[in-house]
Amino acid sequence: MDYIKEKAPPVREERLRACNAYGGSCGNLVEKSKKGCLNGIKRKFSQTQGCQLNLSLAIINTIRDAVVIVHGPVGCGGASLAQAGVNKGFQKLRDSNARGLIWVNTNMGENEVVQGGESRLRDAILHAEKEFRPSAIIIVNSCVPAIIGDDIDGVVEQAQKEVKAKIVPVHCEGFKTKIMASAYDAVYHGILRNLIPHEKIIQDEKTELETLQEKYRASRTVNVLNVSSMSRIDEYELVRLLKAIDLELNILPCYAHPDDFQKATEAALNVSICATHDDYFVEHLKEKYGIPFILRTIPIGVQYTNRWILDIAKFFGAEEAAQRFIDQEVKQLEEAIAPFRDIFKGKRVLIGGGEIRVVANAELLHYLGFEIVGLRAYHYDQFADEMLGEQDIIKQIPFNVATGQPFEQANLNHNLKPDLYVGHVNTNVWAAKQGIPVIPLFHQSQLFLGYTGIYEFARRLARILRNPSFNRNLKDNVHLPYFEEWYDKDAFSYIDESELQA
Amino acid sequence: MSNFIDRPRYLCTMGGAVSTLKALPRAISIIHAAAGCGGNFGNALNGAAGYLGSGYCAGQALPSSNVFERDIVFGGEERLEEQIASTLEIVDGDIYFVVTGCMVDIIGDDAVSVARRFNQQGKPVFAAETGGFKGNAYTGYDIVLSTLFRDFVEKRPVKNKKIVNLFGLVPIQDVFWKGNLNVLKDLIQKLGYKVNTFFGEGETIENLKQAGEAHLNIVVSDVYGVKSAKIFEEVHGVPYIVANLPIGPAGTKEFLETVGKALGVDELLVSNVIAEEKARYYSYVERLADVYNDLDFQRYSVVVADANYAPALTRFIADDLGWLPELVVITDLLSEDEEKLVAKKFTAFSSGVIPKVVFDTDTSNVSKHFNKAWPRNNNNRYFNAFSPAFVFGSSLDREFADSLGAAHLSVSYPISNRVVLDRAYLGYSGSLRLIEDVIGLLVGSR
Repeated sequence: MDYIKEKAPPVREERLRACNAYGGSCGNLVEKSKKGCLNGIKRKFSQTQGCQLNLSLAIINTIRDAVVIVHGPVGCGGASLAQAGVNKGFQKLRDSNARGLIWVNTNMGENEVVQGGESRLRDAILHAEKEFRPSAIIIVNSCVPAIIGDDIDGVVEQAQKEVKAKIVPVHCEGFKTKIMASAYDAVYHGILRNLIPHEKIIQDEKTELETLQEKYRASRTVNVLNVSSMSRIDEYELVRLLKAIDLELNILPCYAHPDDFQKATEAALNVSICATHDDYFVEHLKEKYGIPFILRTIPIGVQYTNRWILDIAKFFGAEEAAQRFIDQEVKQLEEAIAPFRDIFKGKRVLIGGGEIRVVANAELLHYLGFEIVGLRAYHYDQFADEMLGEQDIIKQIPFNVATGQPFEQANLNHNLKPDLYVGHVNTNVWAAKQGIPVIPLFHQSQLFLGYTGIYEFARRLARILRNPSFNRNLKDNVHLPYFEEWYDKDAFSYIDESELQA
Repeated sequence: MSNFIDRPRYLCTMGGAVSTLKALPRAISIIHAAAGCGGNFGNALNGAAGYLGSGYCAGQALPSSNVFERDIVFGGEERLEEQIASTLEIVDGDIYFVVTGCMVDIIGDDAVSVARRFNQQGKPVFAAETGGFKGNAYTGYDIVLSTLFRDFVEKRPVKNKKIVNLFGLVPIQDVFWKGNLNVLKDLIQKLGYKVNTFFGEGETIENLKQAGEAHLNIVVSDVYGVKSAKIFEEVHGVPYIVANLPIGPAGTKEFLETVGKALGVDELLVSNVIAEEKARYYSYVERLADVYNDLDFQRYSVVVADANYAPALTRFIADDLGWLPELVVITDLLSEDEEKLVAKKFTAFSSGVIPKVVFDTDTSNVSKHFNKAWPRNNNNRYFNAFSPAFVFGSSLDREFADSLGAAHLSVSYPISNRVVLDRAYLGYSGSLRLIEDVIGLLVGSR
């Protein structure tokens, strides 16, 4: 893979033939995905979702010592208003001096639509430099400048001569793609082009011993690619898991400092926790710097945590040590979980969120004793085929590919009547109003990953199931906005396969 | 002055339109725009507005045509038509309102005509062009209101002398709008009038539909809702007055007198209402006479707020609370004429306090204006410091408050560090809540 010479990455519909509209059994989905015949399915009724720009900001807003410029009309990036203040605390978990989220909007009005917004963007860059002296200025480009043809890269090239901060343009115009996850490629593209040195930085004179030590250290260091929905304690758990096989971790890209990316090329291996996020980045690091990668699974639940560790251990020839560690961990975990099993036994659950995370949670919840009655994913592509295909127990249950689309979720929940909903932020409210107990699929201050993540998740589950009165009361007192007849229809009746691209 | 903005405190035109419709009972927005616009609003209108939540049919439930590159090339009207039809099948609302985003406005989709076709078939579907580049959220508020006034409100040639409409207080952008409208309704009801506010507790879309029978429109803003009031007058022949947004006894007295005069209410009744409310107010404030004076609870203050709140709040702080608001930063995008109108409000406080008032949209400029308004200590042994101090602003101004060592209360959008339900800050009763919150912070940090 090598798109780095291009100004912008291809969108995921093109690159991965990803889809965001599907309803059918898990088994069928995998089959169709393998044949590559999901791309192009539409909806006749749709609800809002989110765009590349929104999701790009979810990552970019975490970067420390950076100023974000949203190039567009004044509303673009407005979601950051909800993060201001909250986000600083998370940055401080990595650096006590972090100053939190700062962004500038270029406020494009009717004049700029006609005359172009390039000078406005330039002014904003120079302001960001002068006012905040950040290490990086990250520009997210919105729909309007894209359609009127603003030359973002031209402006950046000029401004970079006058500005010390590294300027990172991110081409994430919302209207270009239905697959929000294209944002990950857009952000990594900007990082690869602007924050990672094209050649190895020449180090100061070093003694032979120092060079050797450094080389050894690099040979035991892995880049672990985090996601903005992870917590700091999730990261500590991953550090713990890999320390067991004597590895050092370099954690990127969320909450990293712009300079941290320079070190990204000095690791022996790139490890993803979610292929949906990282394939573009690790493929390029392999292509450009020869760093191999592991992209196979997410360390959620016993099966996939074991697999995640073993894949990495295998690379370093440490399988035996890893297996000993795993055996010990799993044994302790089993004992710890035992008291909860009766609470979970036979309870029915619907899970919604990112494809990889949802499929891993199906395995985890099954392990805990739940019956999985349905899965929903924001989008679907080849990366989930292995994990979904190997879970025989869920082959026949419905899988709904939908970025949000709470009307389909409401229908499924109404008709499947699960005892629990495990869901993505912004989808949980709708299940709550149907009276269903809810546990968030991720949480920026809670632990989900690794073995301790399994225990903590189980502990939270038991707590939430113990008294779901809040949601139960909601059901009796508030209504979802759909006509009763909607619940009598098939949940997937507005999914339109008529223009399916073979 | 139009330029880039450091942390703007409002969404775009469409964002304002969607938030206005979100606050209108059983009104359903249908977004004709790219897929991210609504998702972006969802977070801004929930987490940044005192945890307002997704609402009846907002957040991720917002119906949206989600147009993509192909629709932008070939036009999105067909997709919109399909989306309106399917929304009418699935979503249960009283009215449906199509709002448009930048992209479809730029390519010239005629959403208004598409919506009209449904309307002609008897479906309650309305539309307006609200492309984000047209302005900020306040523009969206006025576009939605004036469209509804023109196209939805029924013509009523015979007016009811006992009914008035009140607007200009922008829902969600005023995070306390719902509680505030309750207070204003109560006050005017005390003068003997029924009030439609469209967004208030217990109101339905019928209140809006019948609004044409009102005798008077009361706009509680110098700048917001005024355009809509003019259209209302043009279409329905109902005149309007601009009244001050009332916080505290001083401002509320003026409000009641202005409204009373415009409606021709008996002056004795007005003064009786004022006397009664004021007596109640002081029966509570009296409790604080000890602690205010024992612990010296007077504060220097900075106010960072919008054009509606800033004058009302500052007057309360100066004239009722007896504090010293030295700097006011108004963060809205206003024309020069509008700035003049708003600035005038700060010149005649009964306390004689005259704050420095600046108009600046940029968050990081607040501290710059402060440095100009109050000298820094250059290691002087004796220095007249800006202390003790209190900052009234949004969550974005917490850092500025920290830099002064000042207490901070979020009162203006965005508010992400407080939960706001039916709390109100207007009128007599609202100012009691405000005092509880403000003095509560001071005693809470003892």
